[in-house]
Amino acid sequence: MSGKVTRRKFLQVALAAAVAGPVGRLRPALAQGRVLVLDYYTLFHSGDAAAMELIVRKFNAEDQGVRLNLLQGQWAEYYAQLFAAVGAGNAPHIGICHTSRVMDVYRALTPLEESRAGNLLETARIRASDYTKKVWDAGVYQGKRYLVPLDSHMWGLWYNKDLFRQAGLDPERPPETREEFERACEALKSRTGRMAFHPCEDALPRKIRRAWEIFFWGLGGELLSPDGRRAAFNDERGLRALDYLVTLSRRGWHQPGTDGFKLFAAGQVGMLLAGNWYLPTAKASGVNFGFHYVPKFFDRPVTWGDSHNLVIPRQRPERASNEVLVAAIQAIKWINENSHLWGIHGGHIPAYLPAQRSRELLESDSWKLALRKFSEMANRGWVHYPVIHPKAPQIHAAIEPAIQEAYNLRLSPREALARAEAEVNRVLAG
Amino acid sequence: MGQGWARTALALAHDYRSRVRRAGEVGLFLLPFASFWVVFRLVPVAYGVVISLYRWDPLGEAEFVGLRNYWNLAGDPRFWNALRQTFTFAALVVPAILAAGLALGLFVFSHRHTRTGRWVEAAFFFPYLLTVSVVGLVWRWLLDPDFGMVLLALRQAGVRPPVFLNEPAWALPAVAFATTWWLAGYRMVLFRAALEDIPEEVFDAAKVDGARGARLLGSVILPLLKPAVLFALVLTGISGFIVFGQVLIMTAGGPGRASEVLALYLYRFGFEYLDMGRAAAAGVVIFCLILALTVGAFRWLGYGGAL
Repeated sequence: MSGKVTRRKFLQVALAAAVAGPVGRLRPALAQGRVLVLDYYTLFHSGDAAAMELIVRKFNAEDQGVRLNLLQGQWAEYYAQLFAAVGAGNAPHIGICHTSRVMDVYRALTPLEESRAGNLLETARIRASDYTKKVWDAGVYQGKRYLVPLDSHMWGLWYNKDLFRQAGLDPERPPETREEFERACEALKSRTGRMAFHPCEDALPRKIRRAWEIFFWGLGGELLSPDGRRAAFNDERGLRALDYLVTLSRRGWHQPGTDGFKLFAAGQVGMLLAGNWYLPTAKASGVNFGFHYVPKFFDRPVTWGDSHNLVIPRQRPERASNEVLVAAIQAIKWINENSHLWGIHGGHIPAYLPAQRSRELLESDSWKLALRKFSEMANRGWVHYPVIHPKAPQIHAAIEPAIQEAYNLRLSPREALARAEAEVNRVLAG
Repeated sequence: MGQGWARTALALAHDYRSRVRRAGEVGLFLLPFASFWVVFRLVPVAYGVVISLYRWDPLGEAEFVGLRNYWNLAGDPRFWNALRQTFTFAALVVPAILAAGLALGLFVFSHRHTRTGRWVEAAFFFPYLLTVSVVGLVWRWLLDPDFGMVLLALRQAGVRPPVFLNEPAWALPAVAFATTWWLAGYRMVLFRAALEDIPEEVFDAAKVDGARGARLLGSVILPLLKPAVLFALVLTGISGFIVFGQVLIMTAGGPGRASEVLALYLYRFGFEYLDMGRAAAAGVVIFCLILALTVGAFRWLGYGGAL
């Protein structure tokens, strides 16, 4: 037989390889026997993505007959990907949903008590009494439960103790009122030469909006009218809140367009308003930092917050049998039972009470450094959820550009609010 | 006479058979590409037009709404802003890329036998090998107000630079600059190849006639580069009108909506607000714009008959 490769022979080999490839890939799956592989997609990134990876690695290491295939998404594109996957009949078996998004995402989710595999909560013995009440109660929409709470997360005040000392401030007594906060800003500005305060994490438009919302909610405002049909923020409270955000820059305490995450980690900012997910970065930065409640800027103490929930996206029977749905809810329960790791490594407050009260979490550095105070803010009822509305993403997108322009000192607060109000009303009318 | 007819008939039949065979061969060679093109280009475009006529719900029933999505576009100030930003971006980036590509192409062509020419060609072609996300990230870091090398260098030179990506007047030009850096290298290669196709005698004759510099470029080189210019213009125009990745990464459409271009508008409505109908309508508008641009470019450069 000649060793020469003819065209015919080449085509035969190529065809054989094309057919054999997929069959070859099937073999390991078949060899797994009863091991179920569940796709688990999240929107976590950076520190909390690493924490979730650790939890999933632990899950997979325990022989449960189920393996989680973790895919961590980009925050901004996650819901679009989830909808596309559900629409295409290729949904992950487990996903994440913010409490504030339940009204527009529920259609892509499995109602857990009325699934085709029966009441999944009962099957997995998931009980309301094991979860933080407020977060548990928020997981129902139109009488159906879609969400199993994973955590509470919120913003707080991170501060640089060394810069506090340099400014003549007591590093163990961070500001709690607006007067104390302003005194601290002035001292930090004049005595350290660094940026005194950064109000909005990495200054993305949604973060700037959150900073404004903290001031606005502190004055008792709400974005929408009670019936959810009109914008309700263009009033004295909205204006006062936005004026205050602008004042931070006008008084030289803050420089718009800068990234608070990076500057704080580089020791260049005295105080930073940021979420609990900043904890892994703050710890890794080497900055001698402290953490405290969001100061009471106006009439009442308030912080921006939300919750991550574990969900089962809507499944087609040919992709997920009833057995798969049961495996998914049991995996969800397992993740919550181990969510003390979510607190320790991800910086979030577990919604599952036994995890929240676990010795491992309470004795951890994370708890002492920040989570205790985050937890206290939650228990005191300071956490305010973002607007919950079927058009929430559009409403936020309508507000953010105007707030950002005011924050950048390019538009007067009054004009910015009028512009945002008009656009929100257009969205709500459409 | 009869034999003559028979021969002619036979020859015609033979000619017909060979033409059919040739067409069959051509068809077979085209089939792999054509099937991909139909499945992945033509069908999605046609499907997009259909979606633009519906209130399209990826998770439920679609409702036929006729031209309402287009009507909603026309009544949305945000759409008009996106259209304006798209034209602004195209107006910045198309001439910049063509001019930079041509200048580099001329330089590389005139230094084609030197090491400098080869280095310049490699250095300026390199960015074209990067993906849009890498280009976006690199320039976002370079222009970062806190740690960016560009701003640091400008400050050290005694200039007080703007925060490029956070200033409405600078955001789009900054993205256009990054895009020029990214794409000019490919145009350089195109122009260089076209310059090499010009017979040496033409340059010699022009020199004898005393043509130098701008005169040589305007009266001899550019007219002979017309096909390459047309190709580069259409290609660059399309890049300008469908710009998306670098805007999303560098500015996310901000500050405010100062750099929200049409493709980003489409993306936001389609994938963030799940209003697929309106997103598809915006896609049809982009398609029409590019079609008009291409036809216009053909006519402007005197290739109208080729259409």
